[in-house]
Amino acid sequence: MQRIKLRQAGWLDRWQSLSGAILAGFLFIHLHLESSILLGKDAFYKVARMLEAGFLDPSGHGYPSVIVVFGLGLFAVLMVHAIAAIRRFPTKYKQWKILKEFSKTVPQRETNLWQLQLVSGFVLFFLVPVHLLGIVMNPGSIDPNLSAFRIVEQGFGFLYMALLPVAVIHALIGVYRLAMKWFGDKLPREKIFKGATVVTCWLILLGTTSLIVWYYTGITSLPTPLTPYSPL
Amino acid sequence: MSRQLTFKIFRYDPLQPEIKPYTQEYQLEEASGMTVFIALNLIREKQDPSLQFDFVCRAGICGSCAMVINGVPTLACRTLTKQYEDGIVTLLPLPGFGLIGDLSVDTGKFMRSISERLQAWLEPKDHEVDIHSLEIPMESEEAEAIYEADRCIECGCCVSSCATAQMRDTFVGAVGFNKVARFALDSRDSREVEDFYHIIGDEDGVFGCMTLLGCQDNCPKDLNHQGQIAYLRRKISMSDRII
Ligand code: SF4
Ligand code: SF4
Ligand code: FES
Repeated sequence: MQRIKLRQAGWLDRWQSLSGAILAGFLFIHLHLESSILLGKDAFYKVARMLEAGFLDPSGHGYPSVIVVFGLGLFAVLMVHAIAAIRRFPTKYKQWKILKEFSKTVPQRETNLWQLQLVSGFVLFFLVPVHLLGIVMNPGSIDPNLSAFRIVEQGFGFLYMALLPVAVIHALIGVYRLAMKWFGDKLPREKIFKGATVVTCWLILLGTTSLIVWYYTGITSLPTPLTPYSPL
Repeated sequence: MSRQLTFKIFRYDPLQPEIKPYTQEYQLEEASGMTVFIALNLIREKQDPSLQFDFVCRAGICGSCAMVINGVPTLACRTLTKQYEDGIVTLLPLPGFGLIGDLSVDTGKFMRSISERLQAWLEPKDHEVDIHSLEIPMESEEAEAIYEADRCIECGCCVSSCATAQMRDTFVGAVGFNKVARFALDSRDSREVEDFYHIIGDEDGVFGCMTLLGCQDNCPKDLNHQGQIAYLRRKISMSDRII
C-alpha cells in the first residue's frame, strides 16, 4: 500500500510537468500560427490548410477531422495536467489562511508567482474547455471569415481576451518553475526568469495585435451571407 | 551623532495567553558595525529585560538567532543594521515552529524529528570494524561535497521561507533534503537510490516541493538548495521503478 503511494507521488509530479510542458509548447505555437492573420486572410487560410493536412488531399483543402482528433488529444493532455496539478491546491481553509499570512510576513516573489498560478490555473480549468470544445465541435470552422464571425458576432472575442493573458502568464511561470524544478543545478535562474518574462510580453503583444486585427476583419470584411473564405 | 533606530518587535508569551500578540517599539542609537543581535542585547540590557530571543555563538555558527528581519528569515547576528536606510527594523519569530516567546522559537524539536524520520545518519557498509586495518581514503572531491552539505547549521530559515513547508507540516523541507543529500553522497553509506526513494520519494519529500526556492534565497549558509533538490528529484525519478 505504501509502495503504491510512493509510486504515485513521483508519477504525478512527472506527469504534471510533462503535460504542462506540452501545453505550454502548444500555446506558443498556437499563438504564432494564429497571428498569421496579421499577414492577411490569405496567409491565415494557408495555415489552416496546412493544419488540416491539405498537402495530403488532392483537392488541397484538407480534412477538418485532423483538427478534431488533435483537439481531443489536447483535451486529454489538459485533463492529465488538471488531475495531476489539483493536489497542489490548498484543500483546507487553514492552509489558505497560512498562505495569506505567510505572504505578508515573508513576502517573496516566488510565493506571489505561485499564488498567481493557483488562481490562473483555476480560471483556465473552466475557460480552456470552452474554447477547445468550441473548436472540436465545429470542424472546419478555422477559416478567416468563420473565425472572424465567431470572434466579433458570437462573442468569442471576449473569451479570447480573458484567455490570452491568463494562459500565457500561467504557462510561462510554469515553464520557469519546470526548468528550476528539474534542472535547477544546470540552468541559470535569473536568466531563465528574464527569458520567461520576455516571452510572456511577446506572446501577449502578439495575441493582442492579432485579436485587434480579427476584430477589424470581422467588422470590415465579412461577406453576406457568411461563406468560408476562398482564395482568389 | 549617529541615527536613531526603531525596532518593531513581535511580543507574545504563550504562558500568558490572556495578553494577545502585539508589536512593541523600541528606540536605540545606532553604533558602527551594529548587528540586529547586538541591538537586541542592548535593548534587553537597558530597556526591557523581559524580551525573549535566542543566541549562542554570535558568529553565524550555531543557528539559534534566526528570525524574520524586515520580511526575510535570516540570522540576527549576521545582519547589519546599517543596510536599512529608513532605520526601521521589524522583527518576527520564525513562522512554522513552536513559539517559546517573543522572538524565540523551538527549532530543535523539528530538527530532531526530521533527522529521525529521514534516518539522517551514516549506515555503514560493514558493521564489523577492524580497528587495526587502515582507514580507506576518501576522494577529496567527495570529502568536499560532504563538507559543503554539512555546513547547514539547522537555523530553520529555509523552512520559514518555504510556502510548502508552512502549509504542510509533514513536509521535510530544504534542511531535510540537504541531510539526505549529505548521506547519499557518502561512499561509506550502504544505502542505494532505492532506499532514499523510500525516504524522500513522496509528497512530503521531493515530489511535494513546489520549487518556490525560498530556501535558496534565504539560506544564510548559501547552500545550493536549488541545484541539490533538482538533482535529488532527477536521481530519484530515474531509479528504475517508474513511469
Ligand atoms: S539549510 Fe540553510 S537555511 Fe536551512 S537550516 Fe540549514 S543553514 Fe539554515
Ligand atoms: S524549493 Fe521551495 S518548496 Fe522546495 S524546499 Fe525550497 S522553499 Fe520549499
Ligand atoms: S547566535 Fe549563533 S548563529 Fe547567530
